[in-house]
Amino acid sequence: MKRLLSHPSLVIGLVATLLFLAIGLLSLVWTPYPIAQIDIPRRFLAPSAAHWLGTDNLGRDMLSLIMAGTWTSFLVAAVAMAIGVGVGVPLGLAAAAWGGPVEWLVLRLTDFVFAFPAVIAAILITTLIGPGAVNAIVAIGIFNIPVFARVARGGALSIATLDFVAAGRLAGLGNMLIAWRHLLPNVMSLIIVQGTIQMSLGILSEAGLSYIGLGTQPPETSLGLMLKDAQSVFLIHPWLTMVPGLCIVLIVIALNIAGDGLRDAIDPRLRQGNPNVLA
Amino acid sequence: MSLLEVSGLSVRFGDAEVVSDVSFSLQRGERFGIIGESGSGKTLTALAVTGLLPEGAAMRGSISLDGVPLPVSERAMARLRGKRVGMVFQEPMTALNPLMRVNDQIEESIHLDTSHGATQIEVPYLLKEVGLELKHGDRFPHQLSGGQRQRVMIAMALAGRPDILIADEPTSALDLITQRKVLDLIADICTRRQMALLFISHDLKAVGALCNRVAVMHRGKLVETGQATSVFSAPKQPYTQKLVAASRFDVQPLLRPPIGSTLLEVDGVTRDYRQGGMLFWADKPLRAVDDVRFSIASAECLALVGPSGCGKTTLAKIVVGLDRATAGEVRLAGTAYHGSDLPNALRRDVSLVFQDPFGSFNPRLTIAASLAEPLRLEPELSQETARARLVESVEAVGLDTGMLARYPHEFSGGQRQRLAIARALVTRPKLLVLDEPVSALDVSVRGEVLALLARLQADFGLTYLIISHDLDMVRAMADRVLVMDAGRIVEEGKPAQIFAEPQHRLTRDLVAARLPDVG
Repeated sequence: MKRLLSHPSLVIGLVATLLFLAIGLLSLVWTPYPIAQIDIPRRFLAPSAAHWLGTDNLGRDMLSLIMAGTWTSFLVAAVAMAIGVGVGVPLGLAAAAWGGPVEWLVLRLTDFVFAFPAVIAAILITTLIGPGAVNAIVAIGIFNIPVFARVARGGALSIATLDFVAAGRLAGLGNMLIAWRHLLPNVMSLIIVQGTIQMSLGILSEAGLSYIGLGTQPPETSLGLMLKDAQSVFLIHPWLTMVPGLCIVLIVIALNIAGDGLRDAIDPRLRQGNPNVLA
Repeated sequence: MSLLEVSGLSVRFGDAEVVSDVSFSLQRGERFGIIGESGSGKTLTALAVTGLLPEGAAMRGSISLDGVPLPVSERAMARLRGKRVGMVFQEPMTALNPLMRVNDQIEESIHLDTSHGATQIEVPYLLKEVGLELKHGDRFPHQLSGGQRQRVMIAMALAGRPDILIADEPTSALDLITQRKVLDLIADICTRRQMALLFISHDLKAVGALCNRVAVMHRGKLVETGQATSVFSAPKQPYTQKLVAASRFDVQPLLRPPIGSTLLEVDGVTRDYRQGGMLFWADKPLRAVDDVRFSIASAECLALVGPSGCGKTTLAKIVVGLDRATAGEVRLAGTAYHGSDLPNALRRDVSLVFQDPFGSFNPRLTIAASLAEPLRLEPELSQETARARLVESVEAVGLDTGMLARYPHEFSGGQRQRLAIARALVTRPKLLVLDEPVSALDVSVRGEVLALLARLQADFGLTYLIISHDLDMVRAMADRVLVMDAGRIVEEGKPAQIFAEPQHRLTRDLVAARLPDVG
């Protein structure tokens, strides 16, 4: 733990991420104003003591919207990442442990999914089940699967040639147990690092999908949806686009810094080695 | 005045001093060897001389060449490296640029020496000097064998006509025959060019064959320096005495159970590897193991000797059930199998000890978890019996049971190899296959591990199949030797007889390539 905290970028990124996450979590129990409360007379207010970040075109409190929107963004990105890890990692490990036709199938499957951007998948799902936060989650999650499958397979392939895997096979372990006992623990650090990167990509994708109207639907809100609502009045009230836009940028930067720091901290190839290794 | 003068050299990484107060000098044309085990600081000493210390290393002391201290600026140092000091590294594959042809790489190092004119004349000359043909110059590093790559490295080091050649373990990645050829080549070139040699190795015999004067390093300090013959024949320091004794592989003959009936029979085993091409247009398969037949009696110690790539490891994998034979079968105590179809009930009777003690344990599992893994083959064991088995096998290899709760990275190479042997013993096997059991270990612990193996054989009546290219170890351990070349068994006999009167060409080469004993 001490080793992890000695990386400044990791600490900065992690603290910033947790700060945004805390703001988002807070919105579940308390927001200054209900986010669905429309009050036309008080619309387009500048930041003030009553409304710290002002109000939007429908008179909703911007701070409350940002809080709720941050939570939506995190939720969508995290669940999508969980889908990616949950499906992708087993696929990748299976490809490495079984090899042969299984590996071929997994690789072709990932190629196939890679060929469709998340937006295309989201449009497809929207036409099937209608728009909503759930369909953004599914679309981004599907897009995450091949990423994690490749990372897991790549890491596992280099582990699978090591002698302890052969020792496991000698001990009668099947492919499933080899993957579970020997491959998974040793590729975990790669997956964690990739997870933070996919989180930030997921937040960006969610904002993008909501912006084009395929993600979160009102009265729920998300950072992308706030951008969309504000764009028609951008020239008159630029503040309304600035707040959610900056919020997205800051969250993504925080996650990327945390991811970089995490990679530096746990990737053994980048770790300052024991000088004895040289001699 | 000496050519190279190193005095009071210390290298630190933070608080850890890895080289401390090392002083030596090298005369023109002299061949000086530094002997040390892994972690003794010998490579860092060589890197300090070339000014190539890794980042984070702090150096003290002085190094001077012809009485002139080494320049501080990287630019001047780089000039010096090409012209005055040539260097040959341990691993020739990673030391060469994989995307450049051999000719271009040699040419590059000639260009660094501005006094040279015609590279077209120089390159073929250098190739010839290191014993390569002209056609090798047009190849890429991956198209050359390990020995050829090391020759290219030497040619590159020679390109600037250096006064000193620094060779850091130049032969430890090569097999026995190639090792001897490369050592002879280095000796030749040094004599012909009147070049001084700084030779760094853990192998006493290689140093003894090549160097006039040697220094022994231990934990960053020079413990003994002197003429090679006197240091090896009458070592003064206890550490040197231990090293010299360990290099001789004196395994005490123990009272062993008598050799019994046939335990394992290998009958016409062949293994083909499909290579390249499409499904129906495949190239001719590579035959790694070709119609091999032999048998091992119980309590016997059989050695399988051969150069790298001769198929001996593939054969071992088939015997233990990691790979599958294309044709032929193996019979263990009468039950036939073809490799990976070895039934689980029989798997407990065969164990394998791997060559590399560092890759053979999962870094995320405790030693106890790793050691207990083979016990899955005996699901009828209760928890207490399983635990007792672990304790028994750890004690059998001379380690403390407190180590079971620890993780692999806390152990040294020798300890890990003992633990690997303990893991192999935990199912109480009949046959133990040892794939180069000591070649990745330091010289001083090799003897201990071999003595342990001999003791275990005497205590438990184990049958050994030892795979090795190290003839000295084979001579010390084996009852019978098989020599393998290009997938076939070419010679068989008692070790004494084979080494005294080798019949096959390969066996003769192997025996001739043995380095003379030191001392």
